Formats: sequence, C-alpha cells, structure tokens
Amino acid sequence: MEIKKEAMCGTLESNDLLVKVAPRAGLEIVISSEVLRQFGARIREVVEETLKHMDVSQGQVVIEDKGALDCAIRARVQGAVLRGCECEELDWRIL
Amino acid sequence: MRWLRAWRHILAAKQSRPIEIGAVRFTGHPWRMFRNEAMDEELYIETLDPREDVQGAAKVKRLLYANGLKIEDDIECFVVARSLRQIVACAGLAGCLVKCVAIAPEHRGTSLALRLMNEIQQLALDRGQAHLFLYTKPDRVAFFEGCGFHKVVEVSGHACLMENTPVGIKDYCDSLRALRQPGQRIGSVVLNANPFTLGHLHLVRTALEQCDWLHVFVVSEDASTVCYADRLDLVRAGLDGMDRVTVHGGSEYLVSKATFPSYFIKDTCVVKACSTAIDLLLFRKHIAPALGITHRFVGNEPYCRLTRKYNQDMSEWLEKSGEEGNPIHVVEIPRFEVKGRAVSASDVRRLLAGGDFETVASLVPATTLARMRARYGLRAKPQAGRRLTEIFEVG
Repeated sequence: MEIKKEAMCGTLESNDLLVKVAPRAGLEIVISSEVLRQFGARIREVVEETLKHMDVSQGQVVIEDKGALDCAIRARVQGAVLRGCECEELDWRIL
Repeated sequence: MRWLRAWRHILAAKQSRPIEIGAVRFTGHPWRMFRNEAMDEELYIETLDPREDVQGAAKVKRLLYANGLKIEDDIECFVVARSLRQIVACAGLAGCLVKCVAIAPEHRGTSLALRLMNEIQQLALDRGQAHLFLYTKPDRVAFFEGCGFHKVVEVSGHACLMENTPVGIKDYCDSLRALRQPGQRIGSVVLNANPFTLGHLHLVRTALEQCDWLHVFVVSEDASTVCYADRLDLVRAGLDGMDRVTVHGGSEYLVSKATFPSYFIKDTCVVKACSTAIDLLLFRKHIAPALGITHRFVGNEPYCRLTRKYNQDMSEWLEKSGEEGNPIHVVEIPRFEVKGRAVSASDVRRLLAGGDFETVASLVPATTLARMRARYGLRAKPQAGRRLTEIFEVG
C-alpha cells in the first residue's frame, strides 16, 4: 500500500498512542514513548511488522506512545495507514 | 432535559456526513459525545464557525475572556466542548495556527484537554492542514507537550513556538544540511521579491563580494501580490548563472504566518518585540547552524517602518550573545538607487498597477521585466488595466 496523504489515528490518552503518517521517499519510523527504554525496541518491532504486513515500504510514520499494548499499537498503525492510503475497499486479510 | 439530548442526537445525525466504511473513520461529524467521568456529565465536542454561529461565538468569547484571552478575528473554526448550553472549553484554528485555547477551571485536570487538542488536529487535517503551530507562554509548554506539541523555539520568559510533530524542524534542517557549502564566511539573504528588482540584485551581488557562499531564501508565504511560484521563478531567473549562490524555496520556518504572526497576547509591546524574535531566533538556532551561516545581509530600509523595525530587531536577536546558537553578523547594505531614489518593490508594484512599463524597466532586471510583461502586460488593454489595479493594490 502507498501512503498518499497525511493522516492520523489514535489519541494521547494513557494506554493509547497517536500515529501520524505522511508520504515520504523511503521508510522513516519515529517513535517517542514514555516507556521507550523498556519497550522502545518492541514498539518498533510491532510497527515494522504491521507495516510489512500491509506492504507499506515508503512513508513517514510518527508514533507518540503513552504505554499502549501491542494490539493497540497494531490497530492504530493500521488505522492511520488505511486513512493515509485513501483505501476504498478494505482487504481484511492484511489486518 | 433528556428529551433535549435526544433531540440533539437526531439533529446531529441529520447533519453528519456519511461514515466512510472503508477507511473506518468517523471524523467530520459536527458533534461527538464525550463522557467526562470525573465530572459525571456528558460533554459534546462540536465544531463552531464563529462567522456563522454568532451566539456560539459570543459564548466562546465569554469563556476566553474569563481566562484572560481575546477572541481573534482570523479564526476560521473553533472546536468547542459543550455541557448542555454552556461552552466549557474551546480551541481555535487560523490556517496553520492553533489559537485561543481555553478550558474552564472546573474542567481542567481531566482528559478533556487531550480530546480538544486531538479534535482540532483532526479538524485541521480534514481541511488539508496537517502541520500545526501554536504560540504559548513558557509556563504552558508542559501542558501542550502533553497534547502532542513540541517546542520549536522560545523567547525566554515571553513566548514559545510549538509544532505538532517531533520531527518538523529537524527534518527541515536535515534537508538544509545536505546543501551545506564549505567556506569561512557563509552569507544569507531573505527576500520576499515581490517582485524581484535591481535593488535585490544589488543586495545579492554586494553580499556575495563579502562572503564565500551565499544562501538566498525566498519567503514562501503567499500573502504577496506576486504569488510564491512566480517570485521564486523571478529570483532564480535573476540570479541565474551566478556562482557561489544557492536559492532556497522558503518554508514555514522562515518569515511565515507561523513564525511571524500578528498574534495578540495581552501586553502589546511584548508581542511586537516577540513577533520578530521568534522568527529571528529560529533562524539563529536552527537554520543558520544547519547551513553554517555566519552572516545575514539586509538592505537598509528608507521607507517602510515595519521593515526598519525588523532590521533593528535583527541585530538584537541575531548578534546579541547570551541567546542560544552562535551569533550571526548582520550586515546592512545601503539601498541601490536609481535617479536618487532607492529602488523599492512597492514602487515597482505601484508602477505596474499603472501599466507604466517604461519606468519599471529602469528598476528591475530584464528577466523580471520579461516575465511581468508576459504575465500582466499582454492582456487586452481595458481588462488588463482593471486586473492590474486589482492585483497590485492589494499587496
């Protein structure tokens, strides 16, 4: 999937995260988190995995995490990417 | 009041746009309900157009006033939180600026602030504006950081410019760093070039004599008579073939509505000092180090008071030690004169409006003249006259 426009998904409330995506040459993932030291690597892993699963290889993904669980991270990344791709028909297999 | 709430739901449902199923998004609704557990009440998050909803605007005004703020004329849209008939929180959007953010004291400390700021970002995004800025006092920085804003630059003790991305200014500076040039004296010039005149050309030439490399920035804010794309084109054409010069397109970080607002905080004097300070400190702290800039050249200003003030402030904020970043030397260059009068772009605009291409020809380089002729001069006479006046008297 190709990120065509800027989009966001999520909130900055506790246990959630805010994901913003934007078109960009090359893949850039920026993560800030309150628990970056403990879980930074794991958050990146989940984000990369989700993006790979959705076949996103280009774009900027900015994540501001407030201690979200893996499932929340996955869902928010998916949400932001789908909005950014202006996806009309949803392929449920990639989610 | 139950029936009233039900009625609101029905009304709201009628107004709302259809939900996009594919993209699974629910934005763009005029309302969203939000249960504030701490207060045990329901709040409605809505958008409010201050130009249409006069009553609503009056309520917002009251809330802002109670919090020591004023409603601003340029706000296109508000996001408000209503508890029944009262507005308890608001945030305004004016282009890329978030303004007039206030929350009633009894609703502070809940997650309402997050909702409000999230909502305003979503609203801006729907309007095609993803990159947002805001001004605040240094003691409120922590609050906005909690809402997803990041500090760009601060005038200590007075004001702070923030943006809604952690990588905005960093990305911009990285892109500039790629264009860095070697040398001891690296100069910079910021031009609006509305339009590009012999005065600008003289400034660039004189500056270039005094440094190893010159970075020329063209203001990208489209508030000028000649649109940005044309202005950039005029500068590039005018400086074509010159060695040791890089022409940069402008950005939101350089003399833009974001960095140079007519923003109003209570004390007018503070704001007037601050409005140039933010822009200049941003240049000193971020842009100049990225390119290794040591000098900023500027034409002296015989006519316009505002520009003269900006020039004076320049030495204050760029050269003064004690501020962050290395000092940048400001070099004022006497204006280029034709027949005893300093060449000014506003004079050129006035002459163009009158269709006086002969006098214009003595004030602008051939490249500008040719382009202005092509753009405005070859139209059918009566229409051209009218259009020119329309176009040129605005700026």
